[in-house]
Amino acid sequence: MLGLIQNELLIIIGRWRSYIGFIGISILMPLILWGFSVGGEELHQDYAKELGGTFMVVGSIINSFLATYVIMNTLWIHIPFLVTLAAGDSVAADGANGIFRITLTRSVSRFKILVSKLLASYIYTATLLIFCAFWSLGIGSFVLGTGDLIVINNGILILDESQAWVRMAFSFSLAIFVMCMVATLCFMFSTMVSNAVGPIIGTMFLIIIGYMIIGIPLEIFEKIEPYVFVKYFNVWWDAFKDPIPWGEIGKKLGILGIYLVVCFGIATYVFLKKDIKS
Amino acid sequence: MILETKNLTKTFGLRKAVNALNLEIPNGSVYGFLGPNGSGKSTTIRMMTALISPDQGEVLINGQSVQKLGNKALLSVGALIERADFHKHLSGETNLKMLARMDGTDESRVQVVLNRTGLGERGKDKVKTYSQGMKQRLGIAQAILSNPKLLILDEPTNGLDPQGMKEVRDLVRELAAEGITIFISSHLLDEVQKICSHVAMISQGELKTAGPIEVLLKNSDLLVTEIHVDPIAPAIKLLSTQSWIHRCEEKNGLLNVGVSLDKISDLIQLLVQNNFQVSAVIPRTSLEDVFLSKVGEESQI
Ligand SMILES: Nc1ncnc2c1ncn2[C@@H]1O[C@H](COP(=O)(O)OP(=O)(O)OP(=O)(O)O)[C@@H](O)[C@H]1O
Ligand SMILES: [Mg+2]
Repeated sequence: MLGLIQNELLIIIGRWRSYIGFIGISILMPLILWGFSVGGEELHQDYAKELGGTFMVVGSIINSFLATYVIMNTLWIHIPFLVTLAAGDSVAADGANGIFRITLTRSVSRFKILVSKLLASYIYTATLLIFCAFWSLGIGSFVLGTGDLIVINNGILILDESQAWVRMAFSFSLAIFVMCMVATLCFMFSTMVSNAVGPIIGTMFLIIIGYMIIGIPLEIFEKIEPYVFVKYFNVWWDAFKDPIPWGEIGKKLGILGIYLVVCFGIATYVFLKKDIKS
Repeated sequence: MILETKNLTKTFGLRKAVNALNLEIPNGSVYGFLGPNGSGKSTTIRMMTALISPDQGEVLINGQSVQKLGNKALLSVGALIERADFHKHLSGETNLKMLARMDGTDESRVQVVLNRTGLGERGKDKVKTYSQGMKQRLGIAQAILSNPKLLILDEPTNGLDPQGMKEVRDLVRELAAEGITIFISSHLLDEVQKICSHVAMISQGELKTAGPIEVLLKNSDLLVTEIHVDPIAPAIKLLSTQSWIHRCEEKNGLLNVGVSLDKISDLIQLLVQNNFQVSAVIPRTSLEDVFLSKVGEESQI
């Protein structure tokens, strides 16, 4: 199994498309960090004004933690897109390129091949997010420094530096799980067609529709809202609440987990039954 | 039997691509699978190698059902189905290493099969720099990577020049000599006649005839004879008027005549009676004649 995963990673590494995400992040992040270091004073003033009544602010509240917190807030449409670039190709490309005629005629089971492909796209997904964290937290700490994280979100939460690191790690772990769910959805589409574009468009379409449904305050939409998986994407946000709402997080992860398992189940069914005709 | 199909049937839409096909491939044979374009060869082979599932029937490899066991039944099988496709941006060697990893085969086999297929020098180059012939040889390399006992090849010489075809044929002969059973589809009759011990012929998804080649040739009711006759042109004229003669033409200064076995003596008698000099009659039945008599003139290959 490890050998199979290694193979799939080799394929991902060999694909130019896999680097789009990393390149994109490497362009975006310095820009954002630069923005923070230049325009940080302004943000600091806004924050200080809001906090002024209750606290006395000493030093800057602009640091890599706050920057990361803000960045994570804004990238929720881009990251899924970058994730689908790898997951969409996963099964479809091998079909289209005729590779299945060589791999699926061997003694290794289709199920194992499918699982190794899925795990490889999870590894890709996790790497992409860790790369994000490397920029915003790692490089960010050099550029903006570290310190307490002050979050204003239905009240004020102040986390000292060591707590902030823990919460960041937790938040990124939750984000990786969310993105793995997105990858599984895209992966499912990938088993059904013979090109990568369909799965990417299909997944992004569902995510955007999902955001619309939870964004538009119509009663009919509110009824179906609980079934829209996008609604639970914000689980990473819960890592910055105090106390950490474990129950809430568990519920959200559970629902996303159900989606993930169902998508994987459908992918398995389709792939095991699939006639390789190309 | 190392490979068998039982009542194998596959329908695409309304068209029966393969219809109740029963084949028996004995251990150690080089088994040619002949049929015109669209007769169902690739579909059959894809069912043998678990790429598509039949509507009915099953494929047995060493008595194990491919349909029941899935890919596990393919443990001792190597296959090359139609064109050989690989990850183009990776080298031939890397591609084979990945496949060795899948099979659980030792990586040292990679260099062995590269050398064997004449790619030893080019293994490190990316597959996209390979010629069609090299890709096809890499295809055979991956098929023999894990020391299979049965090799299933679907038109392995397709797209190759005569030299490339000969190389593949020679390789197949060598592998057969090592005791590997080979099931090879083709629509090239003389290619099959050159290398195969057995042959099955299908047309429109149905089996027309099957067995050892010598037996088929011997039992063929259509025999081609080469006749040394003088003068040749009037002889053709004479024979063309006879309804029991299927074919009559000049080839390399000899008269080529297609007749059924029991009419040979009538043929000679007719020529002699008409004062032709008949100096030799050589029976030369080819697979082509067997094919035409079984599958029919309408399905030229
Ligand atoms: N994916 C498919 N969808 C629909 N029909 C198909 C499909 N694949 C094959 N067929 C049909 O099944 C029949 C058998 O095709 P197959 O490819 O098995 O023939 P073949 O003997 O391999 O031909 P060739 O010598 O051209 O390779 C043909 O009539 C073909 O049109
Ligand atoms: Mg074919």
